[in-house]
Amino acid sequence: MGEVMLQVADLAVTFRRGGDAVHAVQDVSFSVAQGESFGIVGESGSGKSTVLRAICALAPTSAGTIRLRDAPLATPRPARFFRQVQMVFQDPYASLHPRHTIDRVLSEPLAIHGFDRREERIERALEEVGLGGGFRFRYPHQLSGGQRQRVAVARALILEPEVLLLDEPTSALDASIQAEVLNLLDRLRAERGLTYVMVSHDLAVVAHMCDRLMVMQHGRAIEELSRAALAAHRAETDYTRKLLSASEGYTPAEAS
Amino acid sequence: MSAMTRHEWLLSDRPTSRRQARLGQAYRTWLSFRTNWLAMVGLGIVVALVLVALFANVIAPYDPVLGGDLRTERFLPPLTGNHLLGTDDLSRDIFSRIVHGSRLTLLVVVLVAVIATPIGLLVGTTAGYFGGWVDTVLMRITDIFLAFPRLILALAFVAALGPGIENAIIAIAITSWPPYARLARAETLTIRDSDFISAARLQGASSARILWGHVTPLCLSSVIIRVTLDMAGIILTAAGLGFLGLGAQPPQPEWGAMIAAGRRFLIDQWWVATMPGVAIFIVSLGFNLLGDGLRDVLDPKARK
Repeated sequence: MGEVMLQVADLAVTFRRGGDAVHAVQDVSFSVAQGESFGIVGESGSGKSTVLRAICALAPTSAGTIRLRDAPLATPRPARFFRQVQMVFQDPYASLHPRHTIDRVLSEPLAIHGFDRREERIERALEEVGLGGGFRFRYPHQLSGGQRQRVAVARALILEPEVLLLDEPTSALDASIQAEVLNLLDRLRAERGLTYVMVSHDLAVVAHMCDRLMVMQHGRAIEELSRAALAAHRAETDYTRKLLSASEGYTPAEAS
Repeated sequence: MSAMTRHEWLLSDRPTSRRQARLGQAYRTWLSFRTNWLAMVGLGIVVALVLVALFANVIAPYDPVLGGDLRTERFLPPLTGNHLLGTDDLSRDIFSRIVHGSRLTLLVVVLVAVIATPIGLLVGTTAGYFGGWVDTVLMRITDIFLAFPRLILALAFVAALGPGIENAIIAIAITSWPPYARLARAETLTIRDSDFISAARLQGASSARILWGHVTPLCLSSVIIRVTLDMAGIILTAAGLGFLGLGAQPPQPEWGAMIAAGRRFLIDQWWVATMPGVAIFIVSLGFNLLGDGLRDVLDPKARK
């Protein structure tokens, strides 16, 4: 394995509102090597998306450290961070501004970070995700869900990051489009040597995409296993075994 | 192959330039606005007001300030001689005065909109986006302004600044921004935590860029609707201040001041006060109809 790209140690996220405190994430540690694809699985509410949001400082870190290329991250994150780490959100219907054309969505990050050759970069970004120039001046409401998610991927990649955080990138899409987007993500990772951290509740998706994965329940990491272990069903905890059998879908009870 | 018509070019779902995309969007809004005939009536009234104000010198047959012969031309009823709407106590042609008064009405409406809307938007989006103590401070200030009845507060301002149309405009603008701030704040709260704002933050966009480029465009339509619907109220407040002698000063042909001057003769010479009243009524109605139509077209929540 190569150099460690992202390291999360003893991360805790606590949301406070008045007197109540919700411990969304507690004592989560993991590290991701450069070029690796790391999966986080768990049921709804297990805190898996919150881990990704904490990495980007969209959720408050109450304890623990996050290191990128062995350097601890400052809060608020410096501008450089956003050129290294980008995120693709779960719902492509909510992650694109309804009044901005695709052109504006893609040109804004370039303007913020002062990139040159913007026209060229926008056209190339659209081509890379399989959208032709005909889409460039459309509004999000003129696109389908899969096309929107491709735009979201293009937006994340236009700053040429090294790490891509994927928050259930296919769960809002129907099955045929899911495969399309997953293949696109696979191809882009191979071409650019990207590091992925992917959150999903779908073990099949994670097994397809990720080299290693972590299982979360009630805000805690309960098990880490490799793809090989997953394929061989060598899980150590009951919860993971239950998750595994659930992911095989409904099997009729063998009635005799 | 026949050339693309302008209609097709605007409605193309594959625009080839920024300009075409923007114009196409505007054209779609216009097409759905056009189907609402009441809104079109409102738009017609507002356009007519603008045209009358622009060409007041051409339209008005008499001078609005200088009257005719005080012995023979006082209190002529409507449709006598060349006086379409009659004359007032100083032998001035009422129609000419109403036509010239449209300039003052339009001035009030435009200036109040230009001053109050940005203040309301800025205060509301800032309070909603940052939350915390910024929100508390800004919204309590807004509450203080909201706690006063508008006309009373405007009265106090005019009394402090001195009577006159300019001070009336400032007073109305100062008293009319709080509802816009509340509205913009409420809209901002609903979009603050959405994914596209998070995405913008993840691209390193500054708060100012997010507020101006991402939040404001989404608050703008509901605020514009509200401002348009408030126009009638603004005209009436201006007329009310004029009526109380604190707005436009004689001999300026302001509609509210004209009603105030005419009320002394209301029993015997009803037209002196009634005609400017009808003008206020028509223009207020026009803005209300336009605002309703805009709500149907622009409000994303009302859309199916």
